[in-house]
Amino acid sequence: MQFEDNFTWVILLTGLAFVVPACILSIRVILSAVGVHLTYRFQRAMDGYFYISTWIVGFLIFLAWPLFQSLYVSFHNVKITSSELKLTFIGWENYAEPFLEDIHFLPLFTKTVANLLTDLPIILVFSLFVSILVVQDLPGRGVFRMLLFMPVVIGSAIVIRRLFGEGVSTEAIGVSVQTLSEVVFTYLQGTIADWVLDLVNRVTLVLWRTGVQILIFVAGLHSVPITMREAAKTDGASGWQIFWRITLPMLSPVILVNVVYTIVDSFTDNFNQVLTYIQTVGLTRDFRLGYAAALGWMYFASIFIIMGIAIVISSRFVFYAGER
Amino acid sequence: MADSVFVIRQRRGILGALTSRKWWEHAFLRIATYIILINVCFVFLFPVIYMFSTSLKTVADLADLTVLWIPRTFFWRNYELAISGMLYWQAARNSIIISVGSAVLQTVACSFVAYGFARIPFPGRDVLFMLVLFTFLVPPQTIIVPLFILYRNLGFMDTYFPFLIPALFGHGLRGALFILVFRQFFRNLPYELEDAARIDGAGPFSVYWRIMLPLAAPAIIVVFLFSLVWHWNDFFEPTIYLFDQNNFTLPLRLSILSAALLQMLAGQGAGDEFNEAVIMAASFLTVSPPLIVYLFTQRYFVESVDRTGLVE
Repeated sequence: MQFEDNFTWVILLTGLAFVVPACILSIRVILSAVGVHLTYRFQRAMDGYFYISTWIVGFLIFLAWPLFQSLYVSFHNVKITSSELKLTFIGWENYAEPFLEDIHFLPLFTKTVANLLTDLPIILVFSLFVSILVVQDLPGRGVFRMLLFMPVVIGSAIVIRRLFGEGVSTEAIGVSVQTLSEVVFTYLQGTIADWVLDLVNRVTLVLWRTGVQILIFVAGLHSVPITMREAAKTDGASGWQIFWRITLPMLSPVILVNVVYTIVDSFTDNFNQVLTYIQTVGLTRDFRLGYAAALGWMYFASIFIIMGIAIVISSRFVFYAGER
Repeated sequence: MADSVFVIRQRRGILGALTSRKWWEHAFLRIATYIILINVCFVFLFPVIYMFSTSLKTVADLADLTVLWIPRTFFWRNYELAISGMLYWQAARNSIIISVGSAVLQTVACSFVAYGFARIPFPGRDVLFMLVLFTFLVPPQTIIVPLFILYRNLGFMDTYFPFLIPALFGHGLRGALFILVFRQFFRNLPYELEDAARIDGAGPFSVYWRIMLPLAAPAIIVVFLFSLVWHWNDFFEPTIYLFDQNNFTLPLRLSILSAALLQMLAGQGAGDEFNEAVIMAASFLTVSPPLIVYLFTQRYFVESVDRTGLVE
């Protein structure tokens, strides 16, 4: 590690994180010192900006500006010469390429979306089920809860990939792939059989991704008021009825949180093939920065759309207890 | 559940309890729950057990199908090889600096920002908070090229600053999620605390630093642990920002371990010693530091999750 040439920048950026809120604070002090009358609302607004100004500066430097630049680059053809990047404007060509020329991107993309659509219900149902079991007053539930969070701790992409390559994930659920594939191919047709096998291959991997969701559900289940369940019980409701009529509606905002988290998690996951492909195109194999930027933007836009659809659909089923 | 079993047993004695239908139902449910949970936990624990058991096997044990879990001899030389092949202590030091540094900065910065979002009404707050959620959706790959160029111009390549500086601003790896967690927590605290502090003359910073932050201990534990673990396991960003192998983090070292070991052992004419067991030993060594931290903090962690009001 060398400090010489970057030292000033480190000091400057670190300083910026502190100077900006300090400036906002001092505006208020100076204004009141000069004798300007400050309304309470104005003072509170200044307080608010004092807290979030650091984040806004960071947003501009580390997100807004890079996003804008990559949008700009995506309309260009980038040539890397020894001293600089040379940009030539080519309009929408980079955006048209995956549909007209590139045979790899679209299949990868549809596969990612299809995987998400199959994984999402599995993750949600499984994590809800497990968290309901684990919030009961069982002796030793602490141990279970501790273990259930393990996959997040060891979820190092590279480690998991190593294990996945070994066939450990199917071993974990005790299904030997060979026997299974025989059974599947005997009884099902080609495409469906492929789909089932693919799912079985991934299912442990999918289950390993439920740590955070279980955590969120456990926290959510604790916030369901126990008085409601007791009232229902007194009125003669069975456990089944209590679950469908009370627990699930009360939990629906939490389910929405989990849907959003799962979608983001699987789309920004290091395992994700689309992201790996974008990285290959842009940074390791072809160095086609413009095309990679265009792919990145299309991918980002589609996440946005899918997320929007998911939120719109599920918000019709969400019940907020506070609303009257 | 426990209560009802107990009550029935008290009322009719053990014999009465055994003949009661309700008692059998409860017992059956309880056993079923345990069986399911133990199975699930086994699936979740499987990678660790597999890694550890394989890491101790000799070449003979690896090939022997009768050796399933417990190797004939505990072959610790795999660990020696893994440690020297990964340059373990150096890589661990890099990993610790990046993950602990970023986790501390992120925890402080995100709690600070989240406090503003949670408690103080100011114009544009909702729009800005939508922006926070928006940042969560941006895949790192979309903006990696401009960021790479930015950091190169600043001279941050091959340093820890590409991880630490964004964390200082409340960004970095999943910063938006941490802001969200802190915001949910702060929203549930009573307003009287701040009002009292302000009446006593506390400025905006000391309200946060002396009143709110000490109360946020559960949220701090959750965010710190998540941030630590995610930074430790992060693979994508280190591959972009770190070139010099001396600066590699543990996951990066693990990814080049095979090549490094072959090179190291080729000179000694002992190439056959390198095998899957060594890789597993290295994997185990890579995941064990966060695992140990988690084992020590899990009690507070599990408690904290119940109290953060992570979801409201």
